[in-house]
Amino acid sequence: MPATTENNQGSFLGRISIRRNQVMSMDGSHDQELEDLELFQRHVGDRFSELLSSTTDDPSNDALLSIGWLRRLLDELLCCEAEFKAVVMMGRDPSQIAKPPLDRLLPELLDRVVKSLDICNAVTLGIDAVRNLQRLAEIAVAALEPRPMGDGQVRRAKKALNSLVTAMMHEDRECGSTKGTERSRSFGRRGNANKDRGGGTFRSLSWTMARNWSAAKQIHAMSSNLAAPRGNEATGLPSPIYIMSTVLVFVMWTLAAAIPCQERNGLGTHLPFQRQLTWAQPMISLQEKIAEEWKKKEKKGSVGLLEEMQKIEKVGQFLIDFAESYQFPGESERLEEVKAHVEELADICRKMDEGLEPLQLQIREVFHRLVRTRTEFLHVLDQAGKLSAPTV
Amino acid sequence: MEKNLDEQSIPQKDEENNTNVDDTSKSSLSETNDNVEVKPDDENKNVDDVVHVEGEPKEEKKEEKESEEGVTVEVTSPETPPNLEKVLEDIDRFLAINENNNNNVNPNEEKIPECVDKFLDLVEEKITKYDSGETKWGEVMEEDSSLLEGVNRVSKMVKLLSTMIIEFQYGEKEAEGDAEKENEKEKDEKKEKRDQLMLVNRVGAIQQRAMSYLEEEFRMLMEESRNQNKTDSDSKGKNVATSESSENESTEMVMEFPGFKEEVITSLNKIACEMLFAGYDSECYHIYTVSRKHGFNDGLNKLGYERISMDEVQKMQWESLEREIPSWINTFKECATVWFPGERKLVASIFSDNQSVADTLYTELTRVVVFQLLNFAESVAMTKRAAEKLFKYLDMYEALRDTILNLEKLYPENIVDDIKAEITSAKNRLGEVAVLIFCELENSIKSDSGKTPVAGGAVHPLTRYIVNYLRLACEYKDTLEEVFREHSKIERADSTSRPHYENDNQQSKEKENTSPFAAQLTRVMELLDANLEGKAKLYKEVPLSCIFMMNNGRYIVQKIKGSAEIYAVMGETWCRKRSTELRTYHKNYQVETWSKILTCLSPKGLSDNGKVPKPVLKERFKTFNALFDEIHKTQSTWVVSDEQLQSELRVSISALVIPAYRSFLGRFSQYLDPGRQTEKYIKFQAEDIENYIDDLFDGNPHTAQVRKKA
Repeated sequence: MPATTENNQGSFLGRISIRRNQVMSMDGSHDQELEDLELFQRHVGDRFSELLSSTTDDPSNDALLSIGWLRRLLDELLCCEAEFKAVVMMGRDPSQIAKPPLDRLLPELLDRVVKSLDICNAVTLGIDAVRNLQRLAEIAVAALEPRPMGDGQVRRAKKALNSLVTAMMHEDRECGSTKGTERSRSFGRRGNANKDRGGGTFRSLSWTMARNWSAAKQIHAMSSNLAAPRGNEATGLPSPIYIMSTVLVFVMWTLAAAIPCQERNGLGTHLPFQRQLTWAQPMISLQEKIAEEWKKKEKKGSVGLLEEMQKIEKVGQFLIDFAESYQFPGESERLEEVKAHVEELADICRKMDEGLEPLQLQIREVFHRLVRTRTEFLHVLDQAGKLSAPTV
Repeated sequence: MEKNLDEQSIPQKDEENNTNVDDTSKSSLSETNDNVEVKPDDENKNVDDVVHVEGEPKEEKKEEKESEEGVTVEVTSPETPPNLEKVLEDIDRFLAINENNNNNVNPNEEKIPECVDKFLDLVEEKITKYDSGETKWGEVMEEDSSLLEGVNRVSKMVKLLSTMIIEFQYGEKEAEGDAEKENEKEKDEKKEKRDQLMLVNRVGAIQQRAMSYLEEEFRMLMEESRNQNKTDSDSKGKNVATSESSENESTEMVMEFPGFKEEVITSLNKIACEMLFAGYDSECYHIYTVSRKHGFNDGLNKLGYERISMDEVQKMQWESLEREIPSWINTFKECATVWFPGERKLVASIFSDNQSVADTLYTELTRVVVFQLLNFAESVAMTKRAAEKLFKYLDMYEALRDTILNLEKLYPENIVDDIKAEITSAKNRLGEVAVLIFCELENSIKSDSGKTPVAGGAVHPLTRYIVNYLRLACEYKDTLEEVFREHSKIERADSTSRPHYENDNQQSKEKENTSPFAAQLTRVMELLDANLEGKAKLYKEVPLSCIFMMNNGRYIVQKIKGSAEIYAVMGETWCRKRSTELRTYHKNYQVETWSKILTCLSPKGLSDNGKVPKPVLKERFKTFNALFDEIHKTQSTWVVSDEQLQSELRVSISALVIPAYRSFLGRFSQYLDPGRQTEKYIKFQAEDIENYIDDLFDGNPHTAQVRKKA
């Protein structure tokens, strides 16, 4: 399949490829290349500062780590990736890419790409689990919306919310841990009254990834050999490779923090980003914000930082407290308060209903795009290898 | 805990009800089946209510167990204690009236008939029995369906009451204006309204309790089937469906995936219907989804399919990765042909009331499974290319290709394209890589440039490797044709250096009809030939290089003729051409080796005006002997392992040499003096020559000893 990226990022790519074609034929291509690299850096910086500003300024905007925000984040990843390819690969002689230190840096990037694919898959499964949680929240909404609010309705809501809260904790703590697939835990109303019915068994909502696979470890492996280019390299092709790697690591880290993923212990450790680079500033700020959130939630045990989930947890807890003490027909003041919360919950559920599927599809798109890019780069490296090999 | 809540929440005002319920729930456990004892107390009205409630379920039970007696009891008693069936009729009548009047109800005239209370008591009691385990689901079918029928009426009532309440509230606001005047009436209305509210609350609570029970039962039924399916380890998932569970009711049965018994499905369906009707659909979907998710997990494990991360796949040795592939293919096919259709059937029969929900649940569930399975294919296609991977890739390709066709039936229309696209993507990736691998054969031929000739002119290992590889490849001929047709297009659009067959444009007119795969195959053959010709030049002796070419050529032709598939691709013409080439090499060999020796045997130069010059004749014999000896010595070390070729060569040499020698001997031996001279110059008899020729090309050095033998 020919890359479809051209359509999305038409102007920029078009410009680069045309210019590259003109420039490559002459010899003084260095200045032009510097300009391209600078443009790429600036764009990356701009993209992430927009993501950063939207989380602080306007409350009507997508909040940090909300579904909408994550979708924008993925959009930016796709854009960066397309520009990256334009800068590094398009119209370039394969031999340039196969030279040291690129012959080391590029395979390293491609390895990060493979690891990102696993994160994408884990997150796809995580979204599936989140959908199940959403269904539980919807039960609460369905139960608490009609008036008068009978005891039965409140009990129904409470049951669903309790399952929800328990499931949220489990998703985080045990999601995919090696032995945790078959834990059982009774919360059924019958309890021990009736042994052979066994109460309810609580089981993880997630599909599992490969045994021993750990999101945190993968992220760590992606970022541990991430070093900013120095000296001469800082102005050449190693620079966009470093930028692309950083973006990739940051986005994958964010996804893993937001959405339930197998094994996230240690995800809170800082990513090794270079502080002095201008383009990295917004990313560093975002990373600090998210890491802070992560630390807060890590101890409590939470399903992930997805904004909608956080809200559901809060509203859910409020409604559980309410349900504990509810007696029909209830005080009107209290009922009004509940109504507001239920409306909020309904609103979140609606957002999730609208947003989760597209998010899942978008992650799949990222997946396919990364696979394709990797193939293309390998192809170029192949060609370079063939060129350098003595042809008999 | 729930029970406490139950009691707490029962409104204090509703005293009569309250006592009723309490009595019921307490007595139902303690009291026994003696109808007779209770019956006589019928005099007091208040007690009567209680008795009705208490006596009824027993009555009902009795009726179900021994219907004849039940009927007689009913007849004898002055005031028939209500049973659920009876009350149901009343309730249905009540519900029906209100349903019809719904549009123009006058709220103030609305009366909730007495039967409602009785009915609720009865239902509640029934639920309590199920809840406490006194009655168990699936033991008595009639009990179960009467529970469901009761629950059904409760749900209907909930719906009805909720519309009535809304109208009440509306009506109340209207009435507020002139309410002051009629205090009495207002009080009545208020009381009535409160009663209504209490009733709504009670009905709702009963519904919730019933739903909670059904939910749990639904979960148990789902899980039991899943676990049972999990434990019967003899079955490997793909088994004959059992028709009936006849005698061995609940023992492990061998079943087709997903292994739900007919009666369980019926139960699940009934429960689901009631839950959906009551608006408790999300609970039902949730349980279904979670349970089936684990069902699939178990199933995948049972098939021996192990998830491997994409990162891991890149790092694995091919030997171990290769072993995972058949298991993947098996799993994938199993899913596509057995599990997914089975799952679809299951979900459709459980949620028979709502097919669109069934579709959604099915899609949500299986899509993730498909993604996971496809990821493995994608990650395998991403590993470093190598010739030996081709066949496994093609196996996977075929598995994917064959499933895509099945999908129309497996997925609802709105989703099928997405799934197809995903599978196609994985398939294409494998196809592209297969094309690349096959084309890289060229490289492995080109790069084989060793300078050491194979001893004795035998078949070169490269020839063996390539020809056997191609033969194997042609067992996948149709798939390779397809892969080349589809994926070489992509390559072309994509640019740069790719399969070369398209460069052969000069001859393209002629080749237009040949498939790209056949063209590539031919190209590989040509490269192999060219390579072999290079290798032939490494031999110092020309005849030996001829033997080398014959050996290799013969090997190739034999192998290709031996496999119908590759023969079909290469074609008859090609084979004929190759055979002609072989004959040429044969000719060349004969000329190179034997022409010189034959000149010795020529009578030319020996008949000088009818006289035979003796020294020349002696010289001729000497030369012949030496040459033949030399040829015998060297060429018996040469190798022709193809027996037919070996004998062809020997026969042709014999035919060339022996008659010539025989006639030479016959004509000229008389000119030598018998005895010493003859012995000295005629070393070989014609038979000896024949024997020596038979020593040629068997790869063993034959030397002096042989002579003695002769």
